[in-house]
Amino acid sequence: MINFATNRELLLTGALLMAACYAAGALSSLLAWWSGRLALGVGHLAALAGAVVGLDVSLGVLLGDPGRTLTQPLPVVFPFARLSLSVDGLSAYFLFVISLVAVAASIYGPAYLRAHSPDAGPARQAAQVIALNVFLGCMAFVCCAGDALSFLLCWEGMTLASYVLVVSDDRDGENARAGLLYMVMAHGGTAMLLVAFLALTEWAGAFDFTALRVAAGGLDSATRTTLFFLALGGFATKAGVVPLHVWLPRAHPAAPSHVSALMSGIMLKVAIYGILRFAFDLLAPPAAPLPSSWGWTVLVVGTTSAVLGVLYALQQHDLKRLLAFHSVENIGIILIGVGLAMILWRREIAGGALATVALTAALLHTVNHAAFKGLLFLGAGSVLCRTHVRNMEELGGLARRMPWTAGLFLLGAVAISALPPLNGFVSEWLTFQALLGGASDFRGAAGLGIVFSAAMLALTGGLAAACFAKAFGVTFLGRPRTPHAEQATEAPPSMIAGMVWLGAVCVILGVAPGYAMRLLDAPTVELLHGPGASVVVTARGPLVLSVAQAPSGTNATAISMTVLAALLIALAAMAWVLRRGLRRAPRRGAPTWTCGMSPVARFDYTATAFAKPLRLVFATLYDLRREVTRETAGTPYVVRRIHYTGEVMDLAETQIYHRIERGISRLSQAIRARSTGRIHGYIAFVLGALFVALLLFGVGQR
Amino acid sequence: MTGERPLTLVLLEMTLLVLLGPLVTGTIQKLKALIQCRQGAGILQPYRDITKLLRKGTVQADTTSGFFRSIPVLVLAATVAAGALVPVVRTGPPAFPLGDALMLLGLLALARFLTAVGAFDAGGAFGGMGASREMTIAPLVEPVLMMVVFSTAVAAGTTELGALATHRGVSWILAWRAADFLGFAAMLVLLPAETGRIPVDNPDTHLELTMLHEGMLLEHSGPGLGCMMLASHTRQIVAFGLVSALFFPVGLADGPGVAGLLLGAGAFAAKILVLATWLALVESSYAKLRFFRVPQYLGIGFVCAIMALALRIL
Repeated sequence: MINFATNRELLLTGALLMAACYAAGALSSLLAWWSGRLALGVGHLAALAGAVVGLDVSLGVLLGDPGRTLTQPLPVVFPFARLSLSVDGLSAYFLFVISLVAVAASIYGPAYLRAHSPDAGPARQAAQVIALNVFLGCMAFVCCAGDALSFLLCWEGMTLASYVLVVSDDRDGENARAGLLYMVMAHGGTAMLLVAFLALTEWAGAFDFTALRVAAGGLDSATRTTLFFLALGGFATKAGVVPLHVWLPRAHPAAPSHVSALMSGIMLKVAIYGILRFAFDLLAPPAAPLPSSWGWTVLVVGTTSAVLGVLYALQQHDLKRLLAFHSVENIGIILIGVGLAMILWRREIAGGALATVALTAALLHTVNHAAFKGLLFLGAGSVLCRTHVRNMEELGGLARRMPWTAGLFLLGAVAISALPPLNGFVSEWLTFQALLGGASDFRGAAGLGIVFSAAMLALTGGLAAACFAKAFGVTFLGRPRTPHAEQATEAPPSMIAGMVWLGAVCVILGVAPGYAMRLLDAPTVELLHGPGASVVVTARGPLVLSVAQAPSGTNATAISMTVLAALLIALAAMAWVLRRGLRRAPRRGAPTWTCGMSPVARFDYTATAFAKPLRLVFATLYDLRREVTRETAGTPYVVRRIHYTGEVMDLAETQIYHRIERGISRLSQAIRARSTGRIHGYIAFVLGALFVALLLFGVGQR
Repeated sequence: MTGERPLTLVLLEMTLLVLLGPLVTGTIQKLKALIQCRQGAGILQPYRDITKLLRKGTVQADTTSGFFRSIPVLVLAATVAAGALVPVVRTGPPAFPLGDALMLLGLLALARFLTAVGAFDAGGAFGGMGASREMTIAPLVEPVLMMVVFSTAVAAGTTELGALATHRGVSWILAWRAADFLGFAAMLVLLPAETGRIPVDNPDTHLELTMLHEGMLLEHSGPGLGCMMLASHTRQIVAFGLVSALFFPVGLADGPGVAGLLLGAGAFAAKILVLATWLALVESSYAKLRFFRVPQYLGIGFVCAIMALALRIL
């Protein structure tokens, strides 16, 4: 392994190599003139190479000594701005996360695209290859951008490329509508980012982050807070935070599954990178805590997203849509950690240790979520390309037909439900510890708020487990409900290899998280200027995670995932002996007991039925729509057919977006009523508008 | 270092919990029978049931996948591992860190999750129904349990159960404050839900429309069912152990002497007996709640828990 981070030239080489790989991948789409399959293969291979180089560069920076920012100016393209690359611990960490999932997606991609849409023309394949490489490259370079302009350019490239991928998959209008909504929301967010960045560059007189940082140091707190909330709005739209999430459950399922994995697993994380960069780096007041409104907003928004995201996920029966809603939930969990870190930073008594724990939890959950959500989307993709059905009510019994996919999906399900011994538990445990520590640090109403957030996090975990018991049970177990499911076969080896890679990451980060803390040192030290992650969390060696809640630090809570996993394995071996029984009796098969009737697939419990009790318990948070029509034969006592449709509407959609939509259409109708078609009416409007504009401008001038 | 439990002791305590688990169920059944003026089966009946099951052959639904056979193994392993995290005869954290109260709740949740997944595998409606109900109750119980744990953890500054027990010390009820009483009340409300007893679930019924946990076990048979039964006995005694570690660790000796250990074991038995009597009394004097009334019942626990937390923090 070449260590790219030893000095600037080598870093530049690494970054250039990465860019070259992605560019080569994008160019390989030209091969589609000759053969679409070849273009797919070469394009994904180049993406894989880019991801491997990205891993190498990021590991080089992360394992080097922290606190160093490597900056490399780029050749002058625009006369008004100097473009540059800048890699510090935070950038490298997010580059690491991106490359980790990109490896899996590029291994998985070609076989998936061939299996899922065998009749795709070379033009579509070429478009997918270009967009995938541009998407990956832009995500990688958003994190490595050293100035506002290259950040925004890469950010926009990421949005456009993912838009192309969202609409590339299918011919029907659903995807186009999802893509349009995505475009509108993403550009609304980008507009807010533009305002925030341009205001900063106006003060700084330059585009590079160093100048912005200096300029932001002289701002008064009201301006600083306004800028932060503008940036937060922009990034939250991209991250899919409630109530700005409405595009996410539509756009993510529409993309090809390995792109869904990239979008859910890492594109949302780029927004988290942006929030961290703005809050702790660019806009942070020098040597003072962040304004308390920032952290509390992020904490409240995060908690809301976590709870509502999982509640809506529970009622989805489209496998990929369910996973997309879980991304809303997990972004919420990450934001709980981020918000807590903002609240605690430079404010607590314990000397920065708790803020480090909170930020560590958030960053660890970032990589964890990338791994298990990537894995789950790839699993859902395998199901989709073999059955061409996304509705889990039409699946079932796949575990016997696709054992590898089923096993890996179950692994991801256990991880995302925050159950030990996998990685989801580790980051949620750290979040809980940080929340508890914060509560005992603050006391009073603030402490109670933090503890309430912890209770909501516990609720989220329980609901996620319920949701994935449903998703896994209905999709993979029981009997196949339709011929699609019955004829399914195992996914090709390259797709399984992509899933195994992410599954291995989940297991390693779950069983030996102490070793991963080393990677978190650089970002935590640089952002918080306090103790690093491994100093605080793995103070007792890499096998033990320990956190001191009390400032004194005397009675630290400690757990060891490694020892626990070993204990579980030993106990499972003992239980296996017990399971074999005291006497070797023969095992025989028999039909499932269905009260004497012959069992058919209709006896299987459906996903709708499974989620019904929770739908009733949380009815106030769901906007339930249901419609029952009865066809009777003349008399109401003889019912020929009952038609039932039930739908759970998103509360944000009905309460916010539909209202806005109604307001806009009322306004436009009012305008239409005034548009009589007579020319002097319009002239009067124009003159009136001009008059008002002049008046306002004149007032503004004075 | 003094005050820490050596790992052999932790493993011994875990084994003790597994071995005593069925006895607790037997005792509760016997107490219930006595309260209801029946003679009832002997307190060793659960052991007889399990050994009988372990001797039997297996009848497996023909639609099940490969996961089905490993479900009892994993469920039992996860539940027993949770047992390793409870201090039984001595206070203090284990000599090498293992897990805390959150890990314990996580392991129990893992066992529950796997049971629910297994219930789907046979493809009958009863399994799915049981899984659906269990997974509806579980997310409502877990946050409240977590809050009860937090209400004591905030005072002690740790969530490690052995350290929590040390912090509370021996003068337990004399040192109790209002928050402790409220937290304990919440725990008493939650205990039937966590152990699958009336008024939330009825362990004796096999009527399709009323069962929660039993519905998920319908398709398990022979040694597999034996493992699942052993797991639910263990789960019950682990829940008892959690309550006694959080609220009355009295009698958990500090010294390493044999007399201290015996005293601790005796005290533990007494505490388990008290909690078992409580469950038997509740089971005999209440009817099972309608399923959709259970969230309201758990609401009582939630209010107690949040009041306990508020008193502790404000």
